[in-house]
Amino acid sequence: MLKKSYDDTIHFYGRLWMIAALIIMFGVPTIIALYFRTWPDWKSLAIGVGSLSLMNLPGGIIEVITYSPMLGTGGTYLAFVTGNLSNLKIPCAMNANDITGTKFGTKENEVISTLSVGASTIVTTLVIVIGVVCMVPLTPILQAPVLQPAFDNVVPALFGALGAKYFLQSPKLAVAPLAFMILLCFLVPSVSSQISILIFAAAAVSIVVGRILYQKGKV
Amino acid sequence: MDQRRCRTLLPLEKRGIMSDFLAKANSGVLYLVAIGVVVFILAQCLFFMVRAYREGLRIGMEKKTMWTAITSSSIFSVVPSIGILLGVIALSGSLGVPLPWIRLTVVGALHYEVMAADIAVKAAGLPALAAEYMTPQVFVTAAFAMTMGIIWGIVFILLAYKQYQKKLKKSTSKDNRWGNILFLSMFIGMTSAYVGSAFADVRRGDFTSLIVVIVSGISMYLFTVVIKKFEQKWLENFSLAFSMIIGMTAAVLIG
Repeated sequence: MLKKSYDDTIHFYGRLWMIAALIIMFGVPTIIALYFRTWPDWKSLAIGVGSLSLMNLPGGIIEVITYSPMLGTGGTYLAFVTGNLSNLKIPCAMNANDITGTKFGTKENEVISTLSVGASTIVTTLVIVIGVVCMVPLTPILQAPVLQPAFDNVVPALFGALGAKYFLQSPKLAVAPLAFMILLCFLVPSVSSQISILIFAAAAVSIVVGRILYQKGKV
Repeated sequence: MDQRRCRTLLPLEKRGIMSDFLAKANSGVLYLVAIGVVVFILAQCLFFMVRAYREGLRIGMEKKTMWTAITSSSIFSVVPSIGILLGVIALSGSLGVPLPWIRLTVVGALHYEVMAADIAVKAAGLPALAAEYMTPQVFVTAAFAMTMGIIWGIVFILLAYKQYQKKLKKSTSKDNRWGNILFLSMFIGMTSAYVGSAFADVRRGDFTSLIVVIVSGISMYLFTVVIKKFEQKWLENFSLAFSMIIGMTAAVLIG
């Protein structure tokens, strides 16, 4: 009963913050338009938004379905406003839950996920603030050609490490989606540009295999 | 990949040129807007964190556990955040600093913003995403397009998340063990997708990302062994960040 009330409050405030975020998001280009004293070129805007939405409309829905269970209620409302989900917030929340030893779907998990996503967002926001303030001295260092391969590979580095941890923890669950993804990406390299859809497909395979293994009592 | 593409569009020497357009795109007014957005995001984080923390205390969680989550998440987030900062820097050459800063602070994702800006300016008829071609109208169009193209997740959450969560809870609350396996499967699926996509680069003749995946994977495994065998629990907070840095160093070494 009490849990429900915490969840309900979070849903209520989460929605309020999201509506505020939407207003702010649209306020920004509107202020820019007023400042530059020009409105967008509506035709190119329609083409731009159309082609972006073609990918992001299904992507957005898929992301909510796939990511929200991993983020918890508060974490979902926070993470979907601040972005960088699969490349930062979800691994971060998973890692925090793992270190603190909380179980999925529990109240503790909900608390830890929210704290984790919040802390992660604050760090990202501050790193960008520091970066912007120190842009002149920092840019040549961060853009030194010798460091570029490192920054081009943040995401592979993250998921290589996570893969080692979780694949070894649950090899039976991992074999099928991993083999499927390796084969698919190797045979049709262009699919890798649609990462949200790829994640959805991999998660679907993984869940089906998980369910079969679970029913057979193998996991 | 997108970062790389963006950099080729914006050669270093071009960034030194401060066109009239860039001067306006970097004006104090837009910086103020960006600061406002940053304050909003920080306020939202603190609002939810305080509520979660209080709820944690109420249900009897230890303060230490909650602070472990906060510190480990903060440490882990530094390296990926520098990657995101690079996105701001990469886009600043063509769009000024404030707009990419705002976009990567609210809902933005590194891979999305570069692509969105590129699509938006090309739809407006520019040959490439670069300050020298930019006009105020194209800039305003890009700002609107980058925002409107990415709102779908938020819209869907507002419309359907509560109902979806209720259904999901119903199906997992009956059987908690299956719930655990379900969430773990989702995460393993997600990780598989990213690991698999390294093989797309292999097919294109680029082995770097696969080598990085393997090196950071081996590092993580070794850290896990050290943590377990020698009971170095403190290392848990750093193992992911360290493994990533080792993997990224491998990328530098192989050039």
